[in-house]
Amino acid sequence: MEHAVSNLVGTPVLLSILIVFPFLAALTVYPVRSARLQTLVVTLTGAVLIAASLLLIPRTPFTLSPKSLLGVDIHVVVETADFLLLFVFLHIGFKHNHTLIKILSVLQIVSLAYLDVRTMSGEHLRVAALYGDNLSLILVLVASIVGSIVCFQSIPYMKAHEEHLEVEKSTRRRFFCVLLLFLGAMNGVVLSNDMGFFHFFFEVTTLCCFLLIRHDGTPAAVANGLRALWMNSLGGFCLLLGMISVFTRLHALDLGRLIELSSKSGIYLVSVALLCFGAFIKSAQFPFQGWLLGAMIAPTPVSALLHSSTMVKIGVYLVLRLAPGMRGAFLSECIAVFGAFGFLAGAALAVGQSNGKKVLAYSTISNLGLILACAGLNTPEAFTAAIFLIMFHSVVKALLFLCVGTIEQRIESRDIEDMRGLCAKMPVTALITVSGVIMMIMPPFGLLLGKWMAIEATAKNLAVVVMVAAGSALTVVYWARWAGTLMSEPFAGRFFPERQPFLTWGALGSLVAGGGVMTVAAPWLYREFFTGILSPGYSPPYVVHGGGLENGWGAFPVLPLAVVAAIGFAVSIVALRRASRVRIVKPYLSGLQTDTPGMFLGPGNRPVKAEASNYYLSSIFGEKRLATLVNLAALVFLILILGAAL
Amino acid sequence: MIDTILVVAATLVAAPLLGGLISGLDRIATARLQSRVGPPVVQPFHDVIKLLNKEPVAVNVWQVFCAYAYLSASMIAVVLFALGSDLLLVLFTQAVGAVFLVVGALSSTSPYSLVGAHRELLQTLSYEPLLVLVAVGIYLQTGSFKIADTRAWGAPLLLKLPFLYAALGLVLTIKLRKSPFDLSTSHHGHQEIVKGLLTDYSGPFLAFVEIGHWFDVILLLWLCSLFWATSWTGMILLVAVTYALEVVTDNVTARMNWRWMLGYAWAMGLTLSVVNLIWLHVR
Repeated sequence: MEHAVSNLVGTPVLLSILIVFPFLAALTVYPVRSARLQTLVVTLTGAVLIAASLLLIPRTPFTLSPKSLLGVDIHVVVETADFLLLFVFLHIGFKHNHTLIKILSVLQIVSLAYLDVRTMSGEHLRVAALYGDNLSLILVLVASIVGSIVCFQSIPYMKAHEEHLEVEKSTRRRFFCVLLLFLGAMNGVVLSNDMGFFHFFFEVTTLCCFLLIRHDGTPAAVANGLRALWMNSLGGFCLLLGMISVFTRLHALDLGRLIELSSKSGIYLVSVALLCFGAFIKSAQFPFQGWLLGAMIAPTPVSALLHSSTMVKIGVYLVLRLAPGMRGAFLSECIAVFGAFGFLAGAALAVGQSNGKKVLAYSTISNLGLILACAGLNTPEAFTAAIFLIMFHSVVKALLFLCVGTIEQRIESRDIEDMRGLCAKMPVTALITVSGVIMMIMPPFGLLLGKWMAIEATAKNLAVVVMVAAGSALTVVYWARWAGTLMSEPFAGRFFPERQPFLTWGALGSLVAGGGVMTVAAPWLYREFFTGILSPGYSPPYVVHGGGLENGWGAFPVLPLAVVAAIGFAVSIVALRRASRVRIVKPYLSGLQTDTPGMFLGPGNRPVKAEASNYYLSSIFGEKRLATLVNLAALVFLILILGAAL
Repeated sequence: MIDTILVVAATLVAAPLLGGLISGLDRIATARLQSRVGPPVVQPFHDVIKLLNKEPVAVNVWQVFCAYAYLSASMIAVVLFALGSDLLLVLFTQAVGAVFLVVGALSSTSPYSLVGAHRELLQTLSYEPLLVLVAVGIYLQTGSFKIADTRAWGAPLLLKLPFLYAALGLVLTIKLRKSPFDLSTSHHGHQEIVKGLLTDYSGPFLAFVEIGHWFDVILLLWLCSLFWATSWTGMILLVAVTYALEVVTDNVTARMNWRWMLGYAWAMGLTLSVVNLIWLHVR
């Protein structure tokens, strides 16, 4: 490890830019009332973060133990800040008179204090504070690049949002402050090796999540924010219990050493299981999905940033990080089954929804479940699938959230039924949304590449592969339905692009282009990032051959397929352009058409409006029908996981 | 390289010819079962040529895009199959076609088209998991998802995967739009939702959808033939018997609703598949 540290000139600077700088930027933006200055600070911070994360690429793996921050021992700073944070939670609990938050805050404070007493009294082994390998790097890149793009888009979004709500006193500065704070904390979480640091940053993201959900201040927003707070506090408490158990064994809160230790003994697996419970809550797995669904009340950039592309990824990141430690244990297999169940249940519940944001939320839960399933399977193939899914899901889901936000501000609804014929009103946004949907479900795009890998990796685990196969079919239903609804319209004649602020087009355009470019580059991304050290104990399972990924029993020719798909697309586009000159007729309505679109002459020559709406199959896939069952089943799986650990 | 180009060219020519021919034979067999004489065997080609020569009209230009995309995806899927590529990838590519067909139907505002599109989605939902599990079964038996490896496998797969083959038969009935699963659209233009999914596809664009369907049929029958890949006689016999059973099923059953289809396909199909997969695991 010595040589790795020695040739890292400038890495400490980069890391402080990635972690500490957003905190400072957040403090800077807080007192700023001028909209222009706010824009400046946010865009500048975003640009700096993007540059710093890209510069970090050649520097992995690294470990770093900063001694002090402004002359004070950094461990003392972080521990004090962690206590302060928990007291803030307690304060929030008292302010809103929320019993659960009070109880959980007190429990967290007590266990953190207990942990501190023990670390101080015993012979405390020095632990490297920060550690970065390619897994952390990918999450840093996601948080810094996708995160910054979402922040850029939130500038015009929040302006329109406040105009729409007709707020008297702008609270945008607070919004941007929390957003920037979050970016720093997110980078901190994935780069922490000292679990005390991990817990602190984890709790900062929880606080940011609460503040952003309750941002609009309506009673519903506050209630949903509080729900997110108590559930994630429960997650934080599970982490602390896991840390106490880890300390008992290791005499150090060292994440790296915990994984290297890899044992099948009871206490080891219990620690891992407790940490995983915290991760499941953060990733909103059933039965803790409630907080993520409630979080949809927040302004849409928040959902794009925290609730799809970054914060919820902390959970799956932690499980992936811990996976090598539990390889071969029954616990790992249980997590795979639990994850696959989440994939299936999330997809089923998404089918039953007509609310666009809820569909996105369930789809996020579902995808996180699939990533967990891959982590639990614990083979190099599954691990690769999980990382592809994380990368592409972050980009595409952020894109789709931003699209829904843009659409919502125009049509004042997030219901899919109200988006019928959107391609006549907002053709560019509708097309970008459809591209996002295509990237979610179709080859050769990255998410399908990940899903393909996942199915081939799970094929030997019967329970997992059956659930993944069924979930995958359900996924196609809700996406295809949405895409078709957007394109549904009586022919409008010509294509008039709508107007949007530059930052909105920039964000949507860069995400859609990013998804496409990353897909074509997937084999090379794989070679650059996944070979070498991905995570302890994993060697790259695929070879890059002829622009595709291949192993002994499967092949996905990414580049050839992309070329062929592009040709098919080009031919279809030419056909479309030629078709704009063909005669346009009215749809078949089983009656004489009138001059008004969608009306036909019914009985007694009276005009009748032909109406139809999508199937949402709520009698089978509705929340009322499924939610209780799913929660009970998930609870059984959690008990199974705990049982497997004991 | 030359080999690859030849295979691609041969597939693109042979698949639609064979698909149309099978459709013609199907019509004759069905007619005989119903005590009719039936059309000449080349009638499907006459139909498609006639459609291609009609004036192109559309309800929404996106429907034209979708018709082309459907045909392209179906062609790519069959070509990938011919090249011996990854079976799972072939199935996903084929699903792309199915999605575009649905999106095209949804782009019309006709309620018949919309209901048909949703029924088609439910049909996809019914058969898609079964297809994936068939691929998984083949992998568990042969150790590979690559079609080339499956072709080279020494013994007929049918003997090891009989229940999965039955599940595949169920998929075939749905994909061929045969009774009792001809919900989204049927061969006759007079069901309760008129022509359903295809109501507003017309002229050359309907012809493309028809040709795309031939490609899909070829893909599935080819997949069936993999279950007896050791001899040509076995392959042809297996496919012929399977198709004959499909025609008989079509003529002796009545159309059911989507609830029944989804329940039946998942309960029956998944049970068959899982039993077979467990059997492979235990062995």
